[in-house]
Amino acid sequence: MDFAFAPEDERFRTELRAFLAEELPGWWRGMFVEDPRAMPFTRAFCRNLAARGWLTMAWPREHGGAEASVWRQAVLREEMWAHDEPRGPQYMNLNYIGPCIMRFGTDAQKRRFLPPMAAGEVIWTQAFSEPGAGSDLASVATRAERAEDGYVVTGQKTWNSYADAPADWCFLLARTARTERRHDGLSVLLVDMRTPGITVRPVHTMAGPHEFNEIFFDSVRVADDCRLGAEGQGWEIATMGLAFERVGIARYARAGRVIELLAAHVRQVGLAADPDVRTKLADLRVRHEAARLLNYRAISVQAAGRVPVVEAAIARVHNTQLEQLVGHVGLELLGLGGLLTHDDATAPLGGLVNRQWVRNVPTTIAAGTLEIQKNLIARRGLGLPRAG
Amino acid sequence: MDLRYTPEQEELVRTAERFLARVCPVSVVRALAAGARGFAPETWREMAALGWLTLELPGEERGGLSFLEVALVAEAMGRVLLPSPFVCTTAMAVPLVQALAGAAERARWLTRLENGELVATVALVEMGWADPFGAPRLAVAEAAVPRLTGRKRFVPFAAHADLVLVVAAKGQVVAVEPPADGLACERLATLGGDPGYDVTFDGTPGVSLGRAEPALLRRILDRGAVASLAYGVGAAARALELTVEHAKTREQFGRPIGSFQAVAHRCADMRSDLDAVRYLVYQAAWALAAGREAALEVGAALAYGLDALRRLAMHAHQVHGAVGFSTEHDLHLYTNRLKAIELSWGAAHVYRERVAAAMGL
Repeated sequence: MDFAFAPEDERFRTELRAFLAEELPGWWRGMFVEDPRAMPFTRAFCRNLAARGWLTMAWPREHGGAEASVWRQAVLREEMWAHDEPRGPQYMNLNYIGPCIMRFGTDAQKRRFLPPMAAGEVIWTQAFSEPGAGSDLASVATRAERAEDGYVVTGQKTWNSYADAPADWCFLLARTARTERRHDGLSVLLVDMRTPGITVRPVHTMAGPHEFNEIFFDSVRVADDCRLGAEGQGWEIATMGLAFERVGIARYARAGRVIELLAAHVRQVGLAADPDVRTKLADLRVRHEAARLLNYRAISVQAAGRVPVVEAAIARVHNTQLEQLVGHVGLELLGLGGLLTHDDATAPLGGLVNRQWVRNVPTTIAAGTLEIQKNLIARRGLGLPRAG
Repeated sequence: MDLRYTPEQEELVRTAERFLARVCPVSVVRALAAGARGFAPETWREMAALGWLTLELPGEERGGLSFLEVALVAEAMGRVLLPSPFVCTTAMAVPLVQALAGAAERARWLTRLENGELVATVALVEMGWADPFGAPRLAVAEAAVPRLTGRKRFVPFAAHADLVLVVAAKGQVVAVEPPADGLACERLATLGGDPGYDVTFDGTPGVSLGRAEPALLRRILDRGAVASLAYGVGAAARALELTVEHAKTREQFGRPIGSFQAVAHRCADMRSDLDAVRYLVYQAAWALAAGREAALEVGAALAYGLDALRRLAMHAHQVHGAVGFSTEHDLHLYTNRLKAIELSWGAAHVYRERVAAAMGL
């Protein structure tokens, strides 16, 4: 076991921070703000990263990567997430959509879909959840009926991030067969979002400017060569994708940055000697350390060539609860100042903590609720029997 | 960065688990708890033969490993609740001897230790003021042969130790080799854990090892706490196994209770908590092995870990139901040990304060 990043990875972090200090505009607060500059900025930023070979550096060379270690990639994720994810939607391409295509795709699919991702030129959205399929994801009802040379897709998906970006492609989980075991009838289709019959509608949320969408599919034709993996392999692909997604976001890194800023804030306003404040911030710092290490443990499993399903669920349980707690405790420490959003010029820390809180209200729900993670840990990690 | 065991670490843990399963079935734990000595000297000699007692001493024959491996071995011991002076000897006394003792004493004690002929302990705690681990006040009369007068509390295995390293006023360390004049040990009635003694000194002669700087004492205490917490991780891991086994086999309402989410989620919480402590402990041990001050790493491990041990034990009891409260069941052995570890090194809030200081607050 080694708990230090290699010197070259630390050098990369330094280089990356200098790059971010240079490239991030003062107004950057992440996606989902009422700012028309945000989306064009992330597109330009990704092309910029791609030009430096940083966008897909962990990918194999044959797909436009540099075969950087998973740890180099972890450094990149940490710095990106700590700086409000300037890659915008494209982090999903790198973390799991690309890797799923590498793992399950045909050679032709790899040649077709991976180069645009590596160039930073394409936006994907994911379509898993449905109004009737949330935690019970295997109950997906969107149908992909067999047709000549492919499928005809009909149904409704929801909670799609970035579908309105607009997304170019959609990573769709749909039902291709009625099987005795529901999971066996699912397949993943790669759908061109410009295909006739697709309608995208915004879902407004308490986080303010809309973040999510619904996608309606009305007899949308998808060619055979856009099915990923075999028919019926959808559940396996989705499970792997979600495992990568759960460790792919360095949530602890943003929590860590907010904790640091809070510590600086309490020093500045003269609260640093208050025992209660000290205890609360120290407790956050300790939980941050736990979440960070559990992410690293999952990445270590990934580095060994295995899919860290249970380890990713455990990391996510820690990450998401940490993110929520940092929001709650942070606002508590700010008191009245915590009421001020980032639209108020006098908001402490530029409204960062306020944003931390509201954006993390659904954090224990997305990518599998906390309870679903616990089910996974109980069944697959501990071998407990399925709920009756 | 890589949080997997190295092949050597895997081998060490496998060997340790095999050996410990053989020498320490739970019947031995129960028998030793009832006895006066509190550990098995023949097992101690076997541990010495395996190189465990001198794991970190340089050279291939003497171990040549690091404190991280000490923690891994301690974790394996915790799984079977092995009662032994491993923490006070190997994690605490050995580095004190290495740092302070003259060449002759060092060679003599370490050779005996390698042969399994020596149990060493550290007498540090004095009570009656805010920090029982802080600045000791025990009196030392300076002379060619220093003489100690006063009382130390909670000295593990003192009555059966061959070497007692006494931390006296101003960080003076005096080595006492029982039997010695004016030395008396009285067993404390504790709820569990290593047998603790009140040790009184009445003009007791010893060998002066000179002064230990506060940083050295801090490091010794940190090593003891982290090794002990590693032991706690092993004990809690076994308690979780017992709990999962119970949840799979105990039936109520016509099905295994582990199929109820209320029970399954409690078990999942245990696993999430346990994994967090485990890696925090490994990181702290790794940082201590690197010789760093490690305030943040040690602070984080103890601040999280001591609270987590308590949560883990209570979840285990809740899932076990009434049977876990019966001493016929083994669970209470784990519960008592975990509670003893939680209380032996200063509570979690002490370590949270340490983290706060390390954060620059």
